[in-house]
Amino acid sequence: MAGRALAFSDRAIIETIRERFVPAAGDDWYRRRQQDPVGRFYRKVALQRGGWDGDSTRQGLYCLTASGKLLAYRNTSSPEHVKRLLDDALERWRALDESERRPRELDPGEAAATDSEDRRYARPVPDGALVIRVHARELDRKPDGTFCKAPPRDRFQNLGSLDHLWIRDEEWRRLAPPAGAEVGTTYALDPEIAHRIARFHLVDNTRGEPPFWARHEVRRLELALEVVSLEHDVVRLTLGGDAHLGTRRGDRGYTPRLAGTLEYDRSSKRFTRFDVVAVGDHWGRGRYTPHERPGKAPLGIAFVLADGSTAADRVPPQAARDIDLYFAAR
Amino acid sequence: MRTPLRLAGILVVITGLVASAESLPVPAEALHRVIIPSSDEVAWQEIPWTIDLLEARRTAAREGKPIFLWQMDGHPLGCT
Repeated sequence: MAGRALAFSDRAIIETIRERFVPAAGDDWYRRRQQDPVGRFYRKVALQRGGWDGDSTRQGLYCLTASGKLLAYRNTSSPEHVKRLLDDALERWRALDESERRPRELDPGEAAATDSEDRRYARPVPDGALVIRVHARELDRKPDGTFCKAPPRDRFQNLGSLDHLWIRDEEWRRLAPPAGAEVGTTYALDPEIAHRIARFHLVDNTRGEPPFWARHEVRRLELALEVVSLEHDVVRLTLGGDAHLGTRRGDRGYTPRLAGTLEYDRSSKRFTRFDVVAVGDHWGRGRYTPHERPGKAPLGIAFVLADGSTAADRVPPQAARDIDLYFAAR
Repeated sequence: MRTPLRLAGILVVITGLVASAESLPVPAEALHRVIIPSSDEVAWQEIPWTIDLLEARRTAAREGKPIFLWQMDGHPLGCT
């Protein structure tokens, strides 16, 4: 997240990467494990850094040729360090033969890469799934009871996070209002979806990879939908409710209320709006989310339908590393 | 007798839920705008990232460019 806010928000870096490089991004957790051409290629590049136990993370910024020759590497979010990395890589690039800069063929087996994909680690967006962007942010409570962005802190700029909620085709159809629904019709949110939202998306990921909630840590979860208007083919629904999520020891918890608006188009049979917020006090830390604010402090989480316009919209939910658990959260 | 009572209970719970949602301390739409990243915060999306490393290799070979690979433990385009 710091990289998104620091290095990759720097105008000069954005322009250099756009014009001089082919930009790619990936999750080291999958790629260092997957036994297929993409995983092997990545490990071949990462090994050129030297000293790897074959298991631990190899995260960072790599500049490489299409054939896999490492030009430069650094793990940093500092704009100055990234600029130097790009300069170093381009200098080495210019020293290469034309055959290395523009290879006619990639390595053997590349052509069959898609067919031989390691499906244990493949996470394509399920056909017909709703993809919902999920953003979390530290908030402050103002004297009048409203909320504002929390001010920047020393190591953390109060950055909004980004994850994705997947609701499969057969699942979001259960979100749609029942036949014969009228204004005022109220129904509970499908418990499978409700638990997926609670366990994997009502989390504090503003400072790093968050711990997700175990089943027994869902102390209370009540979410319901109400039909509030029927205009032509558009059904407008409100989603509301609350949750209490917390560890047995009480050292980490979150008590949000949720509210928002969904719109369902009965002619196209699609959800066209999913604007939902959760807000409440959060406390505690996870292994990778230290430096929490003291005591209980407000955390806001916003959900909005992805339009598929960016590569990021195809990134799987962080919790989808265990894909079976993700889809069976209840 | 148990089924109607149970149904009545569910209706009471659901009615209570919608009421509790309405008691959010601020309008949901206003809070949504506070939390959603601003255009400055999504400048990184001006870079035409691909999440397909094989596609990146093919493009790099065709266009004669090096690859810039942002690889994190937790996808850098969505995770935190």
